[in-house]
Amino acid sequence: MDQVGNLLARPRQYHNIDGVGELGGSAMCLGFALLLWLPAHSPAGSVWHRVPVFVFAGLALLIHYGTKAVKTRITYPRTGFVEYRRRWHTSAIAAALGAVAAAGLAAGFRRQLDISMLATVGGLVFAVAYGYHFARAVHWKWAVAGAMAAVSLAIGFLPADVLGALGSDSPAAHPDRARLGGAVLISLLVYGTMLLVSGGISLGHYLRHTQAPAQEER
Amino acid sequence: MNPQIRSIADLDRVIHEPGRLMIAALLFAVRRADFLYLQHETGMNKGTLSSHLSRLEEAGYVAVTKTYRGKVPQTLLCLTGAGRKAFEQYRRNLKEAL
Repeated sequence: MDQVGNLLARPRQYHNIDGVGELGGSAMCLGFALLLWLPAHSPAGSVWHRVPVFVFAGLALLIHYGTKAVKTRITYPRTGFVEYRRRWHTSAIAAALGAVAAAGLAAGFRRQLDISMLATVGGLVFAVAYGYHFARAVHWKWAVAGAMAAVSLAIGFLPADVLGALGSDSPAAHPDRARLGGAVLISLLVYGTMLLVSGGISLGHYLRHTQAPAQEER
Repeated sequence: MNPQIRSIADLDRVIHEPGRLMIAALLFAVRRADFLYLQHETGMNKGTLSSHLSRLEEAGYVAVTKTYRGKVPQTLLCLTGAGRKAFEQYRRNLKEAL
């Protein structure tokens, strides 16, 4: 029965066989880091304060169509096409986690807690989610998940003034928000880089071990 | 008859063959997949895979759609409702038998 269970899990593992899932995640993390950094470090009235919505939309389109293009041109012709079943409970869990995170952030602001720790908690959740989605299929990726968790913990111990300076160079900025912004910025940069390296290795491995497009016949 | 023996006797012979069991399990987890994907995952050659798919199609467990991806022919496969029920029943029977 275990072997049947393994076969049932195969399509889920196939989703990232080419590392494109991680490369998309990397683009998202690095793009969000850019979106955080640009307004925080550009003068008031700069164009960067007005364009984040457009940059965000462009980033979302780039990830969506970029991923689709790689799958269509590289993955499907080499190892086949899969259309996954839509699972409403996955979306519901993601929405619930998002709501809990937003509520935690709001409560942290209201009670003036050290909200830079939220970046650490969020990072640990991210590392667990990464392990669940990617490392179960490819075991060396547990090292990446472990490194993510370690970096998240290390960010929690960074001095507040360093985080504040990274989060904003404006003296008018709220110190708590600047610290949180700095912690999130470092987290996104580190996770984005890790996902880029890990996804790049997977893509290279996939290209080396699969044959170029072959005509399908039956 | 002993219930354990009965559950062995009740095993669906169409699905019980290892090649077809692999195909059914892979298709059970997705909405649909193409021939190339099944070939890649099962390691079967085209003839063997095609023969198993024909048997599953005859039993009404798999629906086959021929289409094109650009100019390349593509064979899309999915488990039918009957195929899903049969696979779930097969797993239950196998668990009872073991």
